[in-house]
Amino acid sequence: MKIMRKRHTNLAGEWLAVAAMALAITVAAPSGEAAAAEKWAPVASEKLMQLPGDFLRKAVDNDFARSGLAEELVSLDEQVTFKRSTLADLQGAIERTDDADIRLDLQHQFLNEKRNYIELMRENQDIRRKRAATKVRLYERLLENLNRQRRATTPQKAAFIAKQTAARERFEASASQIDERLLTSTMASESRYAREYAKNLSAVQELVASINAHPMNAAPAIDGRPVTRAEYLRQLIAENQGDLAVIEQERSILGHMAKLVSLDALALSEGLDNEAYAEIDIDDDEDGPNRVTSAVEFFTTR
Amino acid sequence: MTNLKQTLAGMATAAALIAISVPASAGTLENMERERAVMIETMLSGDLDNTARQGRMEITRTRLVDLERQVLRDKSLIGKNRPLVRAAFNNYDLTFVVHASVEKNRSVADHWLSEIGLSTQSVMNARSGRR
Repeated sequence: MKIMRKRHTNLAGEWLAVAAMALAITVAAPSGEAAAAEKWAPVASEKLMQLPGDFLRKAVDNDFARSGLAEELVSLDEQVTFKRSTLADLQGAIERTDDADIRLDLQHQFLNEKRNYIELMRENQDIRRKRAATKVRLYERLLENLNRQRRATTPQKAAFIAKQTAARERFEASASQIDERLLTSTMASESRYAREYAKNLSAVQELVASINAHPMNAAPAIDGRPVTRAEYLRQLIAENQGDLAVIEQERSILGHMAKLVSLDALALSEGLDNEAYAEIDIDDDEDGPNRVTSAVEFFTTR
Repeated sequence: MTNLKQTLAGMATAAALIAISVPASAGTLENMERERAVMIETMLSGDLDNTARQGRMEITRTRLVDLERQVLRDKSLIGKNRPLVRAAFNNYDLTFVVHASVEKNRSVADHWLSEIGLSTQSVMNARSGRR
């Protein structure tokens, strides 16, 4: 009994530490961000600007997939999956055990694992936030470059380009008629340039038709509706800003979880443990392991 | 699989770059202007008789048809706001003189003279005198 009491005192100390650490996790939000900050830095290059249709988004996603940040995210996802199964195992073991000491030990482990889970999820969120924020910055820079290019066309230059277009259109409209008249009015035969050009033109037209029909060359579209490049970039920015907002919301869920862990730890240390919390079957969960909401039941259960 | 994806992505980028960096033929406009100057010189030369002038004009005209088309199809000139390019596209009828003349069903000489404001009527009405 004496030993038991001493052991309880030690455990209480540890639980207080768990409570303190859980609270610290909620406060120290962006600590992992600085370390991860340099692991993915895409450049808003001219090459990126010229990519057709949805290829821009795919190129950015591919670039991220090759970065150290993506590797870290994959590794964290795996760790979160393992941690969830550990939590489920511990939860099951607590439910099955009748021995009070073992149950206390398991509850202690369960609390520790919950704390570790929160830590992992915080890192996961940091990386996802970093990815979304970097994408927003990248697309904003691309949009800025696009607007700058548009502004660079002065009214004089625009008028000049219009003249060039009009000249080309006038030529195209009368080319065949001119060919006919020239060939009938002169003794000279068709020039080598004209012959070669006509021959190449059919090949070029065939290739251009294939390029236009190519799925990778589809014009940017939102919900099947063709849009301008600027509109498309604004859509990508909005999508990633939406991701950022969701991550922020998930961050607050994590804060609540951490608070529950600290309260559980305090409750255990004070010997006020009761079985009042509803137990939820983990097998019913259909969410992915990297979604913070999929682990809520572990925190509503002691 | 990842390596294959990377290789394919690299190939796509390289192909796109090749497509973007096709070198434009240089000096199409300069070549055309040189030929146009020769044609005008031939047209106004007092040292040539009519037959010789006609023969030379025919050769120059055939050459100019190709040169004018090369300029009109030269994508490197689009938006190039240089004085020479600007002047060339300011007056289609004078720059692309052969195409414009055929379009209007006139001889090149008649067309050019009328575009610069000289008609048979105005020449006939002119009086010789000292300035």
